[in-house]
Amino acid sequence: MNRRKHAAVFLWLAFVAACAVIIARSQFTADMSAFMPRNPTPTQKIMVEQLRDGVVSRLILVGVDGAPAPVLAQLSKNMAATLRNSAELVAVSNGEQVGMEQDFQLLWRNRYLLSDAVTPQRFTAQGLRESLSGYLDLFGTPMSGMAQRVLPNDPSGELIHMLEQLEGQSHPVMQDDVWFSRDGTRAMLLAHTKGAGNDIDAQERATLAIQGAFDAARKALPDAASAQVRMTGPGVFSVQSRASIRDDAWRLSLIATLLVASMLLMLYRSPRVLALGLFPVATGALAGVAAVSLGFGSVHGITLGFGVTLIGEGVDYAIYLFTQIEQNGTPQSTLRRIWPTLRLGVLTSICGFSAMLFSGFTGLAQLGLFSIAGLIGAVSTTRWVLPHLLPAGFSVHASSRFSSALMALVRRAPQARNALLAVMAVAAVLLVLQRNSLWNDSLSSMSPVSKESLALDEQLRRDMGAPDVRYMVVLNGSDQDGVLQQSEAIAVILRKLVRQGLLEGFDEPPLPSRVTQQVRQAALPDAATAQANLNQALHGMPFRNSIFAPFARDIAAAKQQPLLDRAALQGSNLGLKLDSFLVQRDGRWSLMLPLRGVKDAQGIEQAIRHASDLSFVLLDMKQESEQMFRDYRHEAAKNALLGAFAIVALLFVSLRSARRVLEVSLPLLAAVVVVTALLVLSGHTLSIFHLIGLLLVVAVGSNYALFFDHRCSSPQDRERTVTSLLFANAATVLGFGLLAFSQSPVLNAIGSTVATGAVLSLIFSAILIVRNDG
Amino acid sequence: MRSLFMLLCLISVGAHAEAGSSVAATEWGLPRLMQSLVRVQSSQGKFVERKHLAVLDVPLTYSGTLSFRAPDHLEKRTLEPKEESLVLDQGVLTIENKARNLKRTLVVQQYPAVWAFVESIRSTLAGDLPTLERFYKVELKGNESKWHLKLLPLDQRTRDMVREIVITGSTNRVTKIEMTESNGDQSTMTVTGTVQ
Repeated sequence: MNRRKHAAVFLWLAFVAACAVIIARSQFTADMSAFMPRNPTPTQKIMVEQLRDGVVSRLILVGVDGAPAPVLAQLSKNMAATLRNSAELVAVSNGEQVGMEQDFQLLWRNRYLLSDAVTPQRFTAQGLRESLSGYLDLFGTPMSGMAQRVLPNDPSGELIHMLEQLEGQSHPVMQDDVWFSRDGTRAMLLAHTKGAGNDIDAQERATLAIQGAFDAARKALPDAASAQVRMTGPGVFSVQSRASIRDDAWRLSLIATLLVASMLLMLYRSPRVLALGLFPVATGALAGVAAVSLGFGSVHGITLGFGVTLIGEGVDYAIYLFTQIEQNGTPQSTLRRIWPTLRLGVLTSICGFSAMLFSGFTGLAQLGLFSIAGLIGAVSTTRWVLPHLLPAGFSVHASSRFSSALMALVRRAPQARNALLAVMAVAAVLLVLQRNSLWNDSLSSMSPVSKESLALDEQLRRDMGAPDVRYMVVLNGSDQDGVLQQSEAIAVILRKLVRQGLLEGFDEPPLPSRVTQQVRQAALPDAATAQANLNQALHGMPFRNSIFAPFARDIAAAKQQPLLDRAALQGSNLGLKLDSFLVQRDGRWSLMLPLRGVKDAQGIEQAIRHASDLSFVLLDMKQESEQMFRDYRHEAAKNALLGAFAIVALLFVSLRSARRVLEVSLPLLAAVVVVTALLVLSGHTLSIFHLIGLLLVVAVGSNYALFFDHRCSSPQDRERTVTSLLFANAATVLGFGLLAFSQSPVLNAIGSTVATGAVLSLIFSAILIVRNDG
Repeated sequence: MRSLFMLLCLISVGAHAEAGSSVAATEWGLPRLMQSLVRVQSSQGKFVERKHLAVLDVPLTYSGTLSFRAPDHLEKRTLEPKEESLVLDQGVLTIENKARNLKRTLVVQQYPAVWAFVESIRSTLAGDLPTLERFYKVELKGNESKWHLKLLPLDQRTRDMVREIVITGSTNRVTKIEMTESNGDQSTMTVTGTVQ
């Protein structure tokens, strides 16, 4: 006996150590790929890349408000000055003209390569006459001063043309030299983080840098005490939700642990037994992580989070064992009695989760493997390790008055059978009626971000004139210049579509392809012709001819100048803008053209396909992400259904009675239906997190049902069984019920679903399962 | 990027700050003048503008109509030599040239020098001394029947473009706006026939 005891404990320790070694070498990821199908379509891949580290994912919008406008402007300037030197950010813009000289110089020096108005026609006498008469018009406007300054070098008006194009883009309002919201109450800044959007640590450092710069700026200004800073952006969301989940999870699980522990301590009256009770679930978690790491090569954060939730059932195993040890009995004798039921309960849960193993989504498959390995780990620890570690003679004494009251309730429970069936029918009808609006597949429902944060995001984006990008044309190529050429071909088509009203506009990269630059260079006349054409154009115009000497010189230089590449723009705002269009991955280049004000996406796609044989993807981020999550949820639901069939089959094999199978499954079905109806009635739309919660309800509830179904040898045995179910249930409800108080939609969804579902499955089991002992 | 327009103005430097003494009138003075201008709810008139520019051999002459509605709607419609309209409404300047089918819109606050120039006229017509003094050092000379308001830009970027603006008027009417640019170019706008 003693040797077997040591062998079991030794094996267990070795197993735990092995798991720890595997986990230490595991790779953990936290990106969107958990939601990716294992074989994604090209569009899905592009979208996930965008969400992961696209330029949009690196944007942080900052608003400073709560003080008079001049104070806010000064805060904005001081913050920007600090943040321009921050290692966490690549760029900070607040409307100040910092670094603009460089952009201006770039445009000015390379105007003949960069201006899309450069054609041979533009430099004929006729063309120059037109542009010169445009200058005369400008002299009558407040822009007269600057027009006079550029005229001698640039009589064809390239610079003014380019500036007008830039002017056409939407901008926030300026006040006191910096960007402000339209109502003037909030100074606006825009930051590009260095780290990718999915690098939450880098995003957190960036938000801390911004907060730090604000705090320092506020301290330095006397009237700024009331000022506040607000941030939004995909990275900020990730940081916030991680923090809120972490904070809530810490705080709530601490409270829950204290509550559950004090309850169990009152019951066990032994701190040692209390600690032992945690062994199964801890072993299960280690086994789960190790199994996923071995099976998939890496472990997703999401698997960790929800996996541990799913094996929450493991906590109950110890309770079942400890609370059912009869006086003068041993753990071994108790296990002999309850093991068949416990084993069937575990198998039921494993059946339920195993369908997920075959999911096409990595995240679901990992969850499936995690739960299965975890439950086996937990139940094995309960079965073969815990009995050896329990103090000799341990048993639990529940107050007899409490037990008899409980048993009286249980005996009367079946009277509610018809009422319950009626409630279940009503709930089912409600769900059928609401079936089309049950689920919310939007990205925001998946993102664990609060409604307040989303509202702030919308507000700041409006203030900034930076609407969320929904549509983009994505082009691929083997080199950078190739994708630039493609984008120029597409831009020609898109401009036509803008005129036709299919969209309001689109953004273009600020660098023309080499071919286009060569064409423009070739369009320039030689110096002598340029001068002759200009002289002809000036004839009869009021300009002082002697001022135009620089023109022919500049044209001659432009015909010789080296072509511009990405490197030529580096370090300027234009370079930054160019980088936001381009992505290089695995030696391939992608270019994104964001579309604004799309009225007819399908029409745009068809028109491009009709006009060009370039391969492109018109990406609709909203539709694509919703479709992906819908697929994800459908698959999860399908797997859950398959799991349910597997459970029923397993019960048939084990119980060998249609009536018993029905009796055991009915409470679970009732619990799932009624919980879902309650969620819908309380105004929730369901997400994948609710589905995970329902899976856990079935896993935990199946144990309740099976223990009710379990034939007991004596009334005392029945009493112990029911009491242990009640304690297990109380532990589950305490643990998950507290999560329902979380601000985070994810924790809230799982918490409320599981807590309600667990209570209902216990009550429904008591009502629907009548077992005559003896 | 929107500030590029103004950056152009940075190319040349050379500003002159002129000292002047403010007029301390016990009776009629800047406050009284502004009060009388505030009371004008709307005004219309014709203008003739002559510009002597260094880049041109001959002066340019523009003529057309001006109208103002307190506090922030100002229209300058050029009829000769070409039709062009400049409309300032609540801080947004729209320049429309029908012949060339051109329409430019700018939020004047984004262009400090343009803003300052536009405010020299709008604030004077509106009797808005605080705004005027935000951009200019304001000097008043003359008397109620013929006054000269000399505006010296405070902001360096504006001074790079404009040396001084002198607005001449009689009681609550503006009759002439003279501007000297930093390179010595001059323009004079004469306003006649203001109806109230």
